[in-house]
Amino acid sequence: MSLAATLLSGDKLQDVELTRRSSRVALLVGGLALAAAVLLGLNEGDHLRRFFHAYLVGYVFVLSIALGGLFFVIVQHLTNAHWSVTLRRLAEFTAISLPWVGALGLPLLYPLFTHHGVEEHGGLLWPWIHPHGEHAELIAGKRPWLNPTFFALRMLGYYAVWAALGIAFVRCSFQQDRTDDPAPTVRAKRWSAVGIIVFAITTTLAAFDLLMSLDPAWFSTIFGVYFFAGSVVAIFAWLILTALFMQRTGRMQRAVTVEHYHDLGKFLFAFVFFWGYIAFSQYMLMWYGDIPEETVWFAQRQTAAWMPVSWLLVAGHFVIPFAGLLSRHVKRRLTVLGFWAAWMLIMHWVDLYWLVVPGLDSEHLTFGLIEILTSAGLVGLFVAGLARIAGGRPLVPLNDPLLPECLEFQNI
Amino acid sequence: MSAEPRLYGVLAEFEDVDSLVAAARKVREAGYTRFDAHTPFPVHGLDDAMGVQPTILPWIVLLCGLIGLGGGFLLQWWTNAVDYPFVISGKPLFGLPGAVPVAYELTILLASFGAFFGMLALNGLPKWYHPLFRVARFSRATSDRFYLVIQGSDPFFSPATPEWLASLGASAVETVPEPDEPDTPPRWFKGLTWIVTSLALLPPAMIAKARFSEMQHPRVHLVKNMDFQKKFKAQQASPLFADGRAMRPDPAGTVARGDLDPTSTLATGRNPDGSYATAYPLAVDQALIERGRERFAIYCATCHGLDGRGDSMVARRALLRQGQQGTNWVPPADLTGEAVAAQPPGRIFETISRGRNTMPGYSQQIRPRDRWAIALYLEALRQAQAGLDAPGDKDNQEEAGR
Repeated sequence: MSLAATLLSGDKLQDVELTRRSSRVALLVGGLALAAAVLLGLNEGDHLRRFFHAYLVGYVFVLSIALGGLFFVIVQHLTNAHWSVTLRRLAEFTAISLPWVGALGLPLLYPLFTHHGVEEHGGLLWPWIHPHGEHAELIAGKRPWLNPTFFALRMLGYYAVWAALGIAFVRCSFQQDRTDDPAPTVRAKRWSAVGIIVFAITTTLAAFDLLMSLDPAWFSTIFGVYFFAGSVVAIFAWLILTALFMQRTGRMQRAVTVEHYHDLGKFLFAFVFFWGYIAFSQYMLMWYGDIPEETVWFAQRQTAAWMPVSWLLVAGHFVIPFAGLLSRHVKRRLTVLGFWAAWMLIMHWVDLYWLVVPGLDSEHLTFGLIEILTSAGLVGLFVAGLARIAGGRPLVPLNDPLLPECLEFQNI
Repeated sequence: MSAEPRLYGVLAEFEDVDSLVAAARKVREAGYTRFDAHTPFPVHGLDDAMGVQPTILPWIVLLCGLIGLGGGFLLQWWTNAVDYPFVISGKPLFGLPGAVPVAYELTILLASFGAFFGMLALNGLPKWYHPLFRVARFSRATSDRFYLVIQGSDPFFSPATPEWLASLGASAVETVPEPDEPDTPPRWFKGLTWIVTSLALLPPAMIAKARFSEMQHPRVHLVKNMDFQKKFKAQQASPLFADGRAMRPDPAGTVARGDLDPTSTLATGRNPDGSYATAYPLAVDQALIERGRERFAIYCATCHGLDGRGDSMVARRALLRQGQQGTNWVPPADLTGEAVAAQPPGRIFETISRGRNTMPGYSQQIRPRDRWAIALYLEALRQAQAGLDAPGDKDNQEEAGR
């Protein structure tokens, strides 16, 4: 008899049939959207250059959610958190979906190894494949790090590390489901200290590789933290929305209370501000230094075409949700909280779009069906994989030693 | 005359949380509004049971934060863009990104102040004393007992209240009298306040006095090593010099700032009647000619040539390119020619000073004395050139033939 069976008797903690159906629907929708996006991309006649920029946006979007989930799991163990136990399994599913996210990245091998677009742009997606233009010499100097083979190997390395981390922590959690002995949870807590360091290093480097190298002459040491801030915003928004979805479909009725949502809302608020703080820290130093090699990146995003998107981020990713999430009442009113979670998830997408697509053409705002369908497709495939991984597994850790505290937890 | 002591309220002691929360709920349901609970630790659900309304503190904090934010921007805008405009590292007088950190910190500072002082104010703190502290058993409120107090001023309060409270599961009920002494601080505290306030007024008073009075004595030296440095100042004695003074007399011919007469012949090259000076207004000697030669080589020879004939490399190259790309080159004057030879030294001085035709003035680069030196050197150069060009001078012909 598990702890959950006693404490949450009568609560529906899994729905195998619904999960299977969700997976099928997501796979179908995602597959169709992505196929349509490929067709539209081929129609552009640019060797899929625009499509792959859109693909990178959607891909980094799902990657950031999965990485956020991994971070959430590790940090809850690290801080010995009580409040989050019933929510942790939802994050654990995104954490072990990292190998699947890695598989979704395989199409990016095409822009990495093809020769299309190499002459005019230096590469179909990442322009360092064949350095060209006024900074060719500079970029060529970075060749020992920025070359397709090493890049692919690094990606493999990151995913190996993330998969190992995800599986290690989540396996502890699954083992705990089957035993009363708290040893698996203790083991997870012990390894969390190492895990968070490994996570920080790999995530930073991955952000440099995937996103910052889109402008290989430009550099910003805070960029990894910037990506991390966005991905933590994404995971809290994601957890709010998935928990709401589970509850609206009759699951986890007693496991998740308004107190848990209140805390998720607090963290969402905190990381909305953290993102703003980091984004501003990056901007202000470059604004003040006013050195062309640094400001060029922002100049690309302050053209007539892209300035509205930059302002949209300032307002929509920071000022408006900051005011919107400030109040305690908002965090405890689930419909409103759900609205802000969806808002932040969309803004997080805009943020990644703003990081990637100006590299395609900084004079024109490239936005259309291709961008929407590609991201919708990737989110669909991500959700399909997620639901498949979740499968028939219970949605809360059944025997976590902190489960009673979690259920009794109240905000003062 | 011993009147009945005024009643502050009635105190009920509970031994566990559950009976306290239950009693609090009943007290609220009975209609009481002026009552409070005291527990050694935060009790979940107690606020709810007591019907405590949400505090307005968050609004105070928000307001203070906004004042900090607006004030931060206003302060920087006023000081740096309006009151004392000053360009710093080429940035706008008021640049929003640069102003954010200060405004941000001020937001946090004032919001924290709002939270801290607002909390104190809303709780009526600091308070000199509280009637409950006169009750001996109340000291257990910070260790292992739970208390409920209904104030005597509550409109629902009646003589039966203590008995009713006892029936709610309290382990003890006690009436709390309002103390006899007035609710004022003791005399010693008042005295101390007076002393501290007077002392605090001293520094501003001293500053005010210093600002509006004249001092006969040197000021107080708080930081001695800054005030007394190992160096000589004016009017001090020094064993280094024969006259025993640290101050050195001015070198001969020194003119104090502002004392130079801009209308003198030395400065203008003209006599008081406006005609050009025909004599040099300073002592002429070999050293002055040498000085002129040196200055001439630095400032004049680039165009006029070292021999003064106006065929320097610059002039020759310009002549070669004459007419190309719209150039219209006026060759530099031959300083050894008749036209210049006929000019008095004062006019040459003026030409060097103010420029003539396409030649710019050199008064900013060359000091008056040196301009006279150049004029003098030109005369020497002319004479030397005349000697050089004289037929039969073998050495010079060889020189010129090279």
